[in-house]
Amino acid sequence: MNPESLLRSPLPTPKLTAGCPVLDRLLGGGVPCSSVTELVSESSCGKTQLCLQLLLSAQLPSSLGGLSASSLYLHSELPFPLRRLRQLSHSFQSSHPQIFSSHNPCDGILVQPINSADHLFDVLLKTDFALANPKTRFPIKLIVIDSIAALFRSEFDNNPSDLKRRSDLFFRISGKLKALAYRFGLAVVVTNQVVDFVGTGDGLNGARIGNLGCLYSSGRRVCPALGISWANCVNSRLFLSRSEEIVGKENGLVDVGGDNFVQRRTKRQLHVVFAPHLPESSCEFVIVREGVFGVEK
Amino acid sequence: MDMEVWRLRISATQRGKLISAGYTSLSSLSSVSPSDLARDLQISENDASEILKAASHCGRLDNSDQSHAIVTGAQTAWDMLHEEDLSRRITTSCADLDNILGGGINCKEVTEIGGVPGIGKTQFGIQLAVNVQIPVDFGGLGGKAIYIDTEGSFMVERALQIAESCVEDMLEYQEFVRKKFQACQVQMQPKDFLKNIFYFRVCSYTEQIAVINYLEKFISEHKDVKVVIVDSVTFHFRQDFDDMALRTRLLSGLALKLMKLAKNCSLAVVLLNQVTTKYSDGSFHLTLALGDSWSHACTNRVILYWNGNERYAYIDKSPSLRSASAPYSVTGKGIRGSASNSKRIKMT
Repeated sequence: MNPESLLRSPLPTPKLTAGCPVLDRLLGGGVPCSSVTELVSESSCGKTQLCLQLLLSAQLPSSLGGLSASSLYLHSELPFPLRRLRQLSHSFQSSHPQIFSSHNPCDGILVQPINSADHLFDVLLKTDFALANPKTRFPIKLIVIDSIAALFRSEFDNNPSDLKRRSDLFFRISGKLKALAYRFGLAVVVTNQVVDFVGTGDGLNGARIGNLGCLYSSGRRVCPALGISWANCVNSRLFLSRSEEIVGKENGLVDVGGDNFVQRRTKRQLHVVFAPHLPESSCEFVIVREGVFGVEK
Repeated sequence: MDMEVWRLRISATQRGKLISAGYTSLSSLSSVSPSDLARDLQISENDASEILKAASHCGRLDNSDQSHAIVTGAQTAWDMLHEEDLSRRITTSCADLDNILGGGINCKEVTEIGGVPGIGKTQFGIQLAVNVQIPVDFGGLGGKAIYIDTEGSFMVERALQIAESCVEDMLEYQEFVRKKFQACQVQMQPKDFLKNIFYFRVCSYTEQIAVINYLEKFISEHKDVKVVIVDSVTFHFRQDFDDMALRTRLLSGLALKLMKLAKNCSLAVVLLNQVTTKYSDGSFHLTLALGDSWSHACTNRVILYWNGNERYAYIDKSPSLRSASAPYSVTGKGIRGSASNSKRIKMT
């Protein structure tokens, strides 16, 4: 039993590029390996978009911020967004023609649907074996679970014994994920949903977690699903929010009495809620045909 | 007390070397290994172990002289008080928090620090692993750190960043005291801080128990370890325990071992804990995890919490300190005083 020498560990920790320099800057280089990163947001904020982009980026060589690796996508929200993945992979392929001249980037993405929390745990046990005996062209270095919340939101009741069983499973799954992440240097990304915030602010639901006093999305106050015990299970938490914004005036359109001329657009933001290596920060991003991109301030 | 080495039956040259290397008391010789002593005195390892043998012999004679020692090794409260005055504390880098802690995290004690995710527990862990290495000339312990990471939140780049700021602060301090004396020289590089953190990554509770059982042996080989940080003690004990009685037994065994280690090796043990929800009186509360019996396991308990937009640390339990809270902040440089208090610069 020997301690690891921190001098010998790579500096900085290997990171997987988010596929955009602006987002990478916010994340200190990308999604860290040997660590569990959570993406929290309400639906249609871009969690899955960002996940798909990461699945593709993982195949890039390290000189381009990738991991030269295959990735495993465990999805519990059906159906699998195949069309969007193909669309992204086309633009991805055309922006890196020399790397993907001979094969399709989709080849490096393994997909497995997950039906229940227990099923997820079983799959993770099998993944252990697959990681130790890789059959794919490249080793798996990225596991994405999209989403963890969907597995837990239906099966468990709101009574002490079910809650206990639920948090027990959280820690088992997280313990397994972290052990895999550490042993194989994997980047692990887990997505989570939000629930509406109900209460007065000093209640349990409102217990402040992380940098942002409260999380707002679509004008509603929200908090991440699965409560505080799951919050203990991830290393970093990122929050994606959206809000409607009036941009009419900036475009030179003058609002002349009546809403007809007011242009609205969706403003999306990525916030660092907590992370051991990142300061409190946020940035705006857009989702376009080619993928998810940060917007320079 | 001071020049106890005069009583040792060793040659005058060796005595001279001892004194010039700073080994003046018997207690300073009690925890040093022969090889370290040989290096410090530039003598052969054989000679060094002869000196240590003489010192331990002398120490034993001393003890038998003390009529008040009922059992060998027993101490009077007076001696303990004296010893406590001598023992140094590890600064948290936040002056307000150091103040309410009586100077920092105390050696020989087990201190638990708990709070919600993102409040800065790991930041405290890394900061203490760095601060324990501040050389004695700069008011530190000049020790090394053991970091037991159960959650994988330790980031080397963050440790390096905090170490860099620590070196910067020392250089600044050096500038400040230069007029008085030249003795202080910052010789540590940020990378040296990383070298002196012994990092264990454990992936299950069995591994965690094994590492803690192994610590005694490890520390006997690395006597300059002055802090053991477990980040977090909780994580692996929140899964796979249907038998809560077993969990309680394992945890209290673990706590006893750490307490013994802290006492015997005069080092600080810092355990980071998570929070959980507890159901009582018809409603849910936030409380530190691992249950009521665990709350007896640590000497001190510090709870970190949000107060509005500010982070606060609260002394929840301590045999010697009064309950108090102090604001702190987590900055790029590490743990620091609260931003709103930053105008008050402490110059001592």
